[in-house]
Amino acid sequence: MNWRIRLTWWDKTLLVIMAVAGIIAFVRFATGIGTIANINNAYPWGWWVGYGIMTMIAIGGVGFTITALAEILGVHRYHSFVRPAVLMAFLCYASAITMLMVELGRPWMVWMVLVSWAPTSALYEVGWCAFLYLTVLALEFARVPLEQAGWNRTFRIVSAIYIPIMLLGVTLSHLHQSSLGTLMTLIPHKVNLLWWSDNLPLLYLFSAMMAGPAMAIIEHLAAARWLGFAPRMDLLAGLARIEAWLVGLFLAFQMGDLFYRGAADAMFTASWLAVSFWVEIIFGLMLPFVLLMMPEVRESRRGLATACTLVIAGVLLHRLNVAVIGLSARHWETYFPSFGEVGITLGITAAALFAFGWLARILPIHEELPAPQTSRRAAARPAGALRSAEGVS
Amino acid sequence: MSTSTVKPKAMIQDNTRCIGCRACMVACKSWNDLPEDKTVFFAGEGYQNPRDLDANNYNLITFNEIVTGAQPDWVFGRQLCMHCEQPACASACPTTAMFKTALGPVVFDESRCIGCRACMQACPFIIPKYDYDSFAPKIHKCTFCADRLEVGMDPACATVCPTGAITFGDRDDMVVEAKRRIASSPSTYIPEIYGLEEVGGTSVLHLSSVPFEKIGYVTGLPKTPMPDLTHRWLRATAPVFAVLYAVFGALNWIVRRRMRRQGHEGEHT
Repeated sequence: MNWRIRLTWWDKTLLVIMAVAGIIAFVRFATGIGTIANINNAYPWGWWVGYGIMTMIAIGGVGFTITALAEILGVHRYHSFVRPAVLMAFLCYASAITMLMVELGRPWMVWMVLVSWAPTSALYEVGWCAFLYLTVLALEFARVPLEQAGWNRTFRIVSAIYIPIMLLGVTLSHLHQSSLGTLMTLIPHKVNLLWWSDNLPLLYLFSAMMAGPAMAIIEHLAAARWLGFAPRMDLLAGLARIEAWLVGLFLAFQMGDLFYRGAADAMFTASWLAVSFWVEIIFGLMLPFVLLMMPEVRESRRGLATACTLVIAGVLLHRLNVAVIGLSARHWETYFPSFGEVGITLGITAAALFAFGWLARILPIHEELPAPQTSRRAAARPAGALRSAEGVS
Repeated sequence: MSTSTVKPKAMIQDNTRCIGCRACMVACKSWNDLPEDKTVFFAGEGYQNPRDLDANNYNLITFNEIVTGAQPDWVFGRQLCMHCEQPACASACPTTAMFKTALGPVVFDESRCIGCRACMQACPFIIPKYDYDSFAPKIHKCTFCADRLEVGMDPACATVCPTGAITFGDRDDMVVEAKRRIASSPSTYIPEIYGLEEVGGTSVLHLSSVPFEKIGYVTGLPKTPMPDLTHRWLRATAPVFAVLYAVFGALNWIVRRRMRRQGHEGEHT
């Protein structure tokens, strides 16, 4: 099969961002974290954890959400979203683990998690689950390149274990998506009242579910545009309806939780944290909910793209609010991410986008299994193959 | 010493007896072989130097200007690891690099550390510090002189205090002694032992003449151990895994059977 693609200006831009991040990463490994990062003794986790790990894993929730929808709940018409979703999830988790390798003070010791027994540590569970789930995602996705490369025996082995592996992936996702929230339940004295809750594990899990269809819709619209196929607006409208429900339920759950634990007053204090909270609620939940409830938005590419981007931005802000913005330890210590911190995360995200763009052009990921009879040449020119996929319902 | 006879140790930090000489800070640096710092003045409350604990300072006397009676007065406080009975830092550590020993110290094994800083994030007293500028950073905090305790010596800071502000011994005895001091001199002490019940109890017990929040202590902490907060979720991991896997498996089986009956097999797997 043909692994080569013609680089567009968009690919080249991503490569430049990756190169800049590579230089920053070199400085970080040559001289230590302190040279390039603003994280400090009061804010040991910053943008790297809030965005690079927590948000990446949350939006990687697209993998288990879409898989569960199509395979476990059996809503078969969304099956064509599974392959892109699994690939996105794999790249999100790979990004988060790459981020971890930069963020850890002693990355060469990371294997120690796998030989330790620390059942009281939420991070231990997250570490194990993320490691296992990355393997699961690789096995789930492996069928596509294996089939394409004609490695039939390996393809059959991987296909034979697909069902138990897929179930394992969805189960592991529920565990570690919630465990990331458990991590923050340990510090009620540091996380602002607006966000700290006994129910953070559930809030994290539900918001990751909420990110799933939104990511799938954004990906489909973007792929349709850049790879040149007609988006399946009928399917997107259906996903958008599910998304509206997820956003609405999450909004109700988050507000209900706030009132239930008696923290509702904190919403009406004159502080930047309250502003950050309202931005999260209004632009990340209320506005996309209203938009997605409107049929004309669900049927418009621009409307869908806007609403779903708002949802993802809202999830990002929720993670940042919980883990960075809403955190206070020493009142005289402040934190704002440095150029180096942001640069490295941009580089990792650029690498994930580049990898997705590359794989989307050399592999038939926007098609159903079993793949239509495509010649090798057709696989190298996916636009044609994609058009043939439009017939699949 | 056999484990059956080990009695957990504790330290009383009696701030009413502290004169701010910082001999304990010098002894701490000396025993732990910590380098000097370049320090700066800072604005805001407090007048100590340095302002906060850091990778080179495991023990800090804080200077707090408090108006008692007619004029302001120095009231001293102390920052050091509290060596919790059930430490949040150790519970958060994914590699058990941070753990509590039988004698009481919460200690750090750098050979197991991956540098995730979960212990720093977890600590309710904001104690563990990091050397971000190091190529191979470590967690830095008071060790309760675990190495000295092992051979029957007292912590370095407790041996040098000239006014008896630091008292070291078995925790049971220290609790009795702290209560005795408050009872025998109620005009000197506020009726509170910081660390007796905070986060389920700690191995350092602070006494003070003024409310603890006025001298820079973290107050309002729960009386229950911090690890309880995560434990109630994490203990469900195995059963939740089993139940979810079974439920998802059953749903998937039903769905596939329905698909087979409708003749969609092959499209789906």
